[in-house]
Amino acid sequence: MENSSDEYRIQSFDLDTQMLLKTALKDPSSVNLDKVSNIIVDQSLKDPVFSKEAGRICYTIVQVHNAETKQGNGNVFRRNLLNRLQQEFKDREETRGRSLQEWVCYVTFICNIFDYLKVNNMPMVALVHPVYDCLMRLAQPDALMNEEEVDCLVLQLHRIGEQLEKVNSQRMDELFFLLRDGFLLQEGLTSMSRLLLLEILEFRAGGWLLSSTAHKYYYSEIAD
Amino acid sequence: MSDWIRDNRRDTLSREHNKRSTSLSRWSNCRKRGIDGSLRAKRDTDGSDMVNNGHADGSYRKSHNRHASFTTPESTGPVSSFIRQADWGSQVEDDEMRRDVHRDVQRYRRRILGPEVTQRERKTSSGSSGSCDSREGETMETDEAVLLRRQKQINYGKNTLAYDRYISEVPKHMRQPGVHPKTPNKFRKYSRRSWDQQIKLWKVKLHAWDPPAKNAQDKGLNNIEELGLDDVMEVELDFPTLSDSKDTTATNSLSLEGEDCLGTPVKIQKTEPTAEPACYS
Repeated sequence: MENSSDEYRIQSFDLDTQMLLKTALKDPSSVNLDKVSNIIVDQSLKDPVFSKEAGRICYTIVQVHNAETKQGNGNVFRRNLLNRLQQEFKDREETRGRSLQEWVCYVTFICNIFDYLKVNNMPMVALVHPVYDCLMRLAQPDALMNEEEVDCLVLQLHRIGEQLEKVNSQRMDELFFLLRDGFLLQEGLTSMSRLLLLEILEFRAGGWLLSSTAHKYYYSEIAD
Repeated sequence: MSDWIRDNRRDTLSREHNKRSTSLSRWSNCRKRGIDGSLRAKRDTDGSDMVNNGHADGSYRKSHNRHASFTTPESTGPVSSFIRQADWGSQVEDDEMRRDVHRDVQRYRRRILGPEVTQRERKTSSGSSGSCDSREGETMETDEAVLLRRQKQINYGKNTLAYDRYISEVPKHMRQPGVHPKTPNKFRKYSRRSWDQQIKLWKVKLHAWDPPAKNAQDKGLNNIEELGLDDVMEVELDFPTLSDSKDTTATNSLSLEGEDCLGTPVKIQKTEPTAEPACYS
């Protein structure tokens, strides 16, 4: 079932690239994995939908690759992927200045990778602070003015907030100081942004769960 | 109020926010806890800032500590310091290897010493050289840095086509000591020199399973780069069948001295140039 939706996402590439990715998913050591990781990063920065899916594709490639080589250490793909992410991380402020969408895609992508790629079933330590840095950036007053960024921030917290807090609760506290401040004090927030912020505040306060009444409050109108 | 927002926006966008001494007033001027604003002085939206320049000194130290203790939950070896500046790919790999080594240590103890001794008694033995005999209880290597270095060397050897071919062509029960390559035991106490020599001899033996040259160039480029394959091949003919490598600190061992944590082994001095043509034949 995973494969089918992976292939679905791959449709947006040109034919050669589709072939390359398909091969990478089945037999990673037979392709140029540097190239594959670059393609995945590039596409993630362009395509908001893909940036949410890319983690799983990367996960599959890493798993298959590890199984093939029988050890995780020579993992070219992961190394290259992470180093690409790091490069983009360094340039994130320029990226944000240039294109909000690309910036939001980047955050979505790095969080997705954080979510999917694990080291011995534990989150990758190297990504913890970068991910926090991105989320903190989204929680700054100027970013809170953009619904797009608030939406991204909240979505990421829904997905990986709990894991992040487990590995570093202090920074989560700091992040939520910003979110409370933004919710309470910042002028000019749209009501949608306020709603999203309030929801995530409640979500974390409830132990990364929304009570059924809260859920009803936030989602019943959408269902209508 | 709007001043406040604009102020902040400028503040956030400017990379050199520490020129202005806004860090205290930034949020606290609108807060009930504003009077002792030092509570909220901290601000690190930007990871690189954290590293490059101190903010209010307290906050810098705080975040730094947090990072260090987080990176190495179980021990604070010399490893954490070089991890700080490595690229993410290497950081994750080091992290992975450290966890693997810790797991191996536990397994090895269980296997060798029985379950009752598994409690941590590290630090009892330092990583210095010395006895290399087989009573594992006393002579087990527990220094994390040493184990990691050794694991890395072993990984380089195993991450080769030759190794893959070897383990698939020679099943475990067919392997004979002295004839077939045997991975050095990283948990035994050996001197640095002895260990490096064992690794080298092991790699040399593994090269007997190198794929035909053409093939190697197609598929194994990465592996070859990492291992510095031709370097090792030059010495191949020097040690055809050495069974117990422990005390053979012969000709080339010195040249490996600087290898420890680097990707590629140092060039081995050519002791016998005549061996070279044999490489790809």
